[in-house]
Amino acid sequence: MADTPLVQMRGITKRFGGVTALQNVDLNAYAGEVLAIVGDNGAGKSTLIKVLTGVYQPTEGEMYLDGNRIEFSNHAEAIEAGIDAVYQTLALADHLDPAANMFLGNELTKSVLGFEILDNKRMRSETERVLMERLGVKLKSLDAPTESLSGGQRQAVAIARAVYSEGLRVLVMDEPTAALGPQETARTLKLIQTLKAQGLAVILISHSLDDVFEVSDRVHVQRRGQCVGVVRTADSSTQEVLGLIVGAEEAA
Amino acid sequence: MNAVTAKPMTERLEPYIAIIGPMVMILAILLFMGVAEPARYFRATNLNLILLDAALYMPMAMAMTFVITQRGIDLSIGSIAALSSILMAFLIKQYGFSVYIAVPIAIMLGALMGLINGLIITRFNVPDLIGTLAMDLVYRGFALVIAKGLVLARFPDFLTEIGRGQIPGFIPIPVVIGIATMIAGYILLTRSYFGRYTIAIGSNPEAAELTGISVKRHKVYAYVLCGAAAALAGVMLTGKLNAIQATSAPYFNLHVIAAVVVGGTSLFGGRASMLGSFAGVLLLSMMINALVTLRIEFFWQSVASGVVIVSSVALYTWMQKKDRDGAGGLLAGLQTPDGQKMLRFSALLIGLLIGLLAIGGIFAGDPNPSG
Repeated sequence: MADTPLVQMRGITKRFGGVTALQNVDLNAYAGEVLAIVGDNGAGKSTLIKVLTGVYQPTEGEMYLDGNRIEFSNHAEAIEAGIDAVYQTLALADHLDPAANMFLGNELTKSVLGFEILDNKRMRSETERVLMERLGVKLKSLDAPTESLSGGQRQAVAIARAVYSEGLRVLVMDEPTAALGPQETARTLKLIQTLKAQGLAVILISHSLDDVFEVSDRVHVQRRGQCVGVVRTADSSTQEVLGLIVGAEEAA
Repeated sequence: MNAVTAKPMTERLEPYIAIIGPMVMILAILLFMGVAEPARYFRATNLNLILLDAALYMPMAMAMTFVITQRGIDLSIGSIAALSSILMAFLIKQYGFSVYIAVPIAIMLGALMGLINGLIITRFNVPDLIGTLAMDLVYRGFALVIAKGLVLARFPDFLTEIGRGQIPGFIPIPVVIGIATMIAGYILLTRSYFGRYTIAIGSNPEAAELTGISVKRHKVYAYVLCGAAAALAGVMLTGKLNAIQATSAPYFNLHVIAAVVVGGTSLFGGRASMLGSFAGVLLLSMMINALVTLRIEFFWQSVASGVVIVSSVALYTWMQKKDRDGAGGLLAGLQTPDGQKMLRFSALLIGLLIGLLAIGGIFAGDPNPSG
């Protein structure tokens, strides 16, 4: 693990009108590590990553990528900088095939008789390549609409979409295993390990402590908009993290 | 054993379901007419008539496929066709414009009206159903104001060629135009950003927005395309009849929407079939022609179109439902408590109606009007 964090968030506060969703939160994520963010509903997990990925702008606080100050006014700028997210809802268009989804908004084209048209063949072969090389996933058919794929395969397409951009350095995954069965969950966790081995900083948001303890290196615990602790997974236990999540230690 | 082979079968068929529906119905019409009226229905001149009628709807069905795929609807195409061709007719007849300039102007005017529709829907957030329905009134009203009940007739040859010209020994010119627009639409749908984003927007608008697609702009494009296609159809109609009036093209809206929906493009968005729309247009024209050939009163066409739309949409919804066995069919549905209540309610309604008819019949007097 490198000494300087790849991503630093310092003193992030986010208010929506009178509601304070985040209160002075610090977060560090290192390249080649999986950082899990856990917390109860409303603890500010989603808001925190939405600030990181440029969907929301922080009310106060600063963010650094590789030591350089970063500020995003929208999600596209975050992607440009190398920070992307795979959302819980997957953000896939079910009626399009996997290749169309992977290149959605960023299509490959070719020129025919002076007209620029979509190069469906190349997008398909590129999709096959990225799925195989980066994620080790092989889909049975690339022609079928995405809705016919299993949850895990859809997850792979959504991840492939993010990792296709060469500049990707930080990948945020919001509840990637929430809608998956045990086998698909195991496969997705393996995918996370693969991405980590490729040197990405993976930030995993999950409700499942089992998943968190299986793949993460460190756990960042949020409660009521504040960071109540960061523990090394290897030195911690489910009980300790659970205690932090519900605030049991404080109450005791 | 059967179930094992049946499942991949239906899955493999899924992409073609769109085209199978209208194809089966076309075949049914062909078979029926082959028995009932083979001599008159399959005459070359009659087939030409069918194609000529279908050609008029092809450009609009192509454009409407995009609008409906984006979860939209355009109910103003009939009025756009009428208004833009009325304006074209005035430019030619009153201001002496060359027909070669007036026709492109008409199509541009249609595109402009489509742009207005699109902006009303995306910028003022008026729901498409209400927005285009209201604009239908506006455009029709303008057409009536401008034409004041006049029938403008007798246009230069170029226009009548567009509307009813024939390539000797081949098919009519409007059919060539219609098929060309459908092919262009197919390429647009499968090979262009616009087509790709149209499906994405209809399939998952939030996802489309999130990937950086300008959803509103692409919605506007679809309405502009629809407006231009409607104007082209108006020009073709003017040429076909060699006349135009403000009340022309009253049935365009539902006819075109019916053709697109019958062709398997889903009203719920995301599922587009250009080939299906083509088949849908052909099917409706064949059906209407069959009714005429059978000497059935013109007014039955409306009944037939409605029945075809309802049955085809019901069929698609049924085919797309994954757990078919869970529903247990129509009869099982009637046996649930809720189904029973519905049954009693329907019986009550029909009973009341019969009762009122009976009372009316018993006390019926002299049907001569008073005064």
